[in-house]
Amino acid sequence: MTKLNQEQLIGSLKQLKEIKPRKEWAVLLKSQILAKKETKVVLAPTKEISFMDVVSSLFFQKKLAYSFAVVFFFVLGAFGFIGYAMPGDLLFPVKRIAEQSQAALTGSSGLGQDIVVFNNRINDLAQVAKDGRKDNMSPAINEVKAAAKSLKDDPTKNPRTLKDIASGLKTLADVPGTDLATNPDIKDLYQTVVQGQLADLHKTTLTDDQRNILTEIENLCDQGKYADALEKILLINK
Amino acid sequence: MDNLSEQFSQIYDQYIDKIYRFVYLKVDSQETAEDITSKVFLRGWEAFQSPNSEVKNPGAFLYQIARNAVVDHYRGKGRTKLVSVDASPEIVDPGTTAQDKAILSADINIVRKAIQKLENKDHQDIIIWHYLEDMPVASIAELLNKPEGTVRVMLHRGLKDLRNIIQES
Repeated sequence: MTKLNQEQLIGSLKQLKEIKPRKEWAVLLKSQILAKKETKVVLAPTKEISFMDVVSSLFFQKKLAYSFAVVFFFVLGAFGFIGYAMPGDLLFPVKRIAEQSQAALTGSSGLGQDIVVFNNRINDLAQVAKDGRKDNMSPAINEVKAAAKSLKDDPTKNPRTLKDIASGLKTLADVPGTDLATNPDIKDLYQTVVQGQLADLHKTTLTDDQRNILTEIENLCDQGKYADALEKILLINK
Repeated sequence: MDNLSEQFSQIYDQYIDKIYRFVYLKVDSQETAEDITSKVFLRGWEAFQSPNSEVKNPGAFLYQIARNAVVDHYRGKGRTKLVSVDASPEIVDPGTTAQDKAILSADINIVRKAIQKLENKDHQDIIIWHYLEDMPVASIAELLNKPEGTVRVMLHRGLKDLRNIIQES
């Protein structure tokens, strides 16, 4: 085959068609293959795994879900308890932090927030007195004093804020078993509030009866009875 | 036999000789050719059963598996040939006399060895498909994802190389 034209070459190539597999092997292979039914698990089409897929797959894992639920209810319960925590209780500092956080979130600050805290502490004291919780009484009174001190030191007082403080002081005066009116800080607070309210009353037009009450208030102030004076001021403002 | 098995049975009967021949001419070992052909049809059967796959052209599909299987065979074993072409069994046409058989067998073996010596494997494939399996150029072009003109040029060059190899031998 040294001299080979194209036709001869193609003819020779076509003779290679004689190459065939062994017949018995081909039959055996066919039966073996057809006997093999698909046993592979068909996987679902894969997709991009996003962050949320990972989070959701973790979330729906039973153990993790139970743990999450326990933590969630624990936190929820703790926050519930915090609301009822009174001065002297273990959770009271947490309640105070929660109040500060709430104030920060709502943008409350300065005197307005001090008045809120003052009224909250007075409400705590009133609740402690009402429940007869003797162990909490002293810490509650201390908390009110501390709140009053921060209010007393605040120089920016206007008639409206003074009215709010007066309202708190009225609540405080109604709390049984406490004699906070004699406390120097509370007394100073009374004085500041009363003097501020008096200045405001002098600027307003009063009836004859109100004018008489104003005179009584001024007399009480001269005697240093600011708590009584405040009561009368609130009477005029009603 | 269910419908799927029946369909694949027909495909098997249609392509078993072609695929075996295609593989055999590339590996030149009956044992290896049988092994690779088994894998080709097994993979084809698995794909045929899979609900996610749709085999439109079974012939092209099986040839593609066969090409990859041969490549994997050489790559995996780190070799180019398993058995020397001279050691392979002779091909005999049962319809000729003993003398004719000897002459014919000798000629066929020369061509077979020459095909195996083709360096360009695409040329090898195209010659086998076109002259042995009577596959039209258009089908080869589709199978190789090449333009028909390119396939024609490759076929021409492949034949030329083949002739040179035979004449040199």
